[in-house]
Amino acid sequence: MKIGMVSPYAWDVPGGVQAHIKDLAHYFQGAGHEVSVLAPALDEASVSEDFVVTAGRPVAIPFNGAVARVLFGPVAATRVRQWIHKNDFDVLHLHEPAIPSLSLLACSIAEGPMVGTFHVAAPRQKVAFAIAPLLEPVIEKLRARIAVSEVARETLTIHLDTDAVVIPNGITVDFFASAEPKAEWTKVLTIGFLGRFDEPRKGLELLLRALPGIAKSIPSARILIAGPGEGLELMQSVPPNLRNRLEFLGRLSEEEKAVFLRSIDIYVAPNTGGESFGIILAEAMAAGAAIVASDLPAFLNVLGSGRYGLTFRNEDASDLERQIIRLGQDANLREELRGRAREGARRFDWSEVGPEVMNIYHLARAASERVQVGSEPRSWLRFLTRDEG
Amino acid sequence: MSSFALVLLFSLIFIWYLTFSANRLDRLHHRVETSWANLDSILQRRAAIAREIAHLREIDPATNLILIAAAHQARIAGISERSEAESGLSGALKHLRDESDIPHIHPEPFKELDLLTDRLRTAIAIHQEAVRATVNRRSKLIFRLFRLAGRAPLPVTYPFEDDVL
Repeated sequence: MKIGMVSPYAWDVPGGVQAHIKDLAHYFQGAGHEVSVLAPALDEASVSEDFVVTAGRPVAIPFNGAVARVLFGPVAATRVRQWIHKNDFDVLHLHEPAIPSLSLLACSIAEGPMVGTFHVAAPRQKVAFAIAPLLEPVIEKLRARIAVSEVARETLTIHLDTDAVVIPNGITVDFFASAEPKAEWTKVLTIGFLGRFDEPRKGLELLLRALPGIAKSIPSARILIAGPGEGLELMQSVPPNLRNRLEFLGRLSEEEKAVFLRSIDIYVAPNTGGESFGIILAEAMAAGAAIVASDLPAFLNVLGSGRYGLTFRNEDASDLERQIIRLGQDANLREELRGRAREGARRFDWSEVGPEVMNIYHLARAASERVQVGSEPRSWLRFLTRDEG
Repeated sequence: MSSFALVLLFSLIFIWYLTFSANRLDRLHHRVETSWANLDSILQRRAAIAREIAHLREIDPATNLILIAAAHQARIAGISERSEAESGLSGALKHLRDESDIPHIHPEPFKELDLLTDRLRTAIAIHQEAVRATVNRRSKLIFRLFRLAGRAPLPVTYPFEDDVL
């Protein structure tokens, strides 16, 4: 099958959606399909994958508590048209087509078998969907919609009045399960955090508030903080005698991330909201880390409602502290959670998720149908000429 | 003069809107046709497996008759009775799976049946959504007033009982 995928965000900026597209493309290539990805790029020369076609430089706009780089406009539209015309796809998979970027553009231009995946979960953020009535005629062209979680599906139902099939994001379980733990991180009880930690919704501040209590109960505990961000200001909130308990690792590569998750004892996800799926929890599960996460609906879903990890009341630092101490002092509980989590993570492996997505492609297509550039303007011209003649 | 130009402009915009809307509806109908065709082919495949199971050596004549009849009913049913007929087949297959040891003797057809059931659920969900979107659109005043749906039949939903599967 010849598959075209469109990313709304810049390919050379790290992000969950881009990572998902990349993995999905690799999976389908491995399964013998042909894949081409159209994506914006900050620097076209930096894109190394041969299956990626760049569509121009995106612009930065604030979205959902982060900065999103999106692409729109006549030049991008021309690239989309050329790309569709040249490739003669069997199916077009548009990621995040409700965001005013390349995917929405492609959706409005193309005709034929199209599938959309909705990643975002923003039940309260009305402004992001203020353009919903304008989106409707475009979104309804999608033959099938995929939501990455129940939360994402709810968002879709509320704002766009359309239903979706839930298929979770995929991970490569073995990549995380087989990483080699780093010796210096396994000596004492290490607690890990990963994410853009200067974003408030990632909740690092909660973990730091819980730190004094944790340090009192488990004197040897250390916290490793991975991810990009500015740590100096956060450090001010930590009592000086505890600052040596923290270590900032900076941004990690995928390989380093696997080693990190394999090495730590407890993975903490104190996110306060805005999470649609929580792929990092699935990865931590695959790596066999014991997990403490806030009780966001998306997280509860990944964690099998507490079966694969502990949860604490969202935004409650003292509850977080209690759960970490409970887990930190009970090696048996950690071992039990790890074992269950490793099993549970299989559900998210590409070998499970990939065929489900392929099934959607088949259901979106009539026999021998192809994706084409839309002919609406031309039919309008035909209509005019016929009228006059 | 200017008012004439204005009227002309508005009627042009209006005509454009009508063709735009008709295009939309046409596309939605096509979507329903596609989702139905895919759903139908999965159901056909299921009926074929049911017949295959019916002809296994271990199946007693009564069960054989029930399965063959249910599969036949499902095949000849019109689109509006289809769901009910398929439910009959689902029931017969479910009974066989839960109450007999045939699935242990011949696991292959039942394994394929399980796989098909998952796909069936997804196909139904996609079809329902397509029908809902189309019916919704057609109920809008402008579509009824200008008969934008033409002679296309109103799509019917497929109220398949999930729990029967």
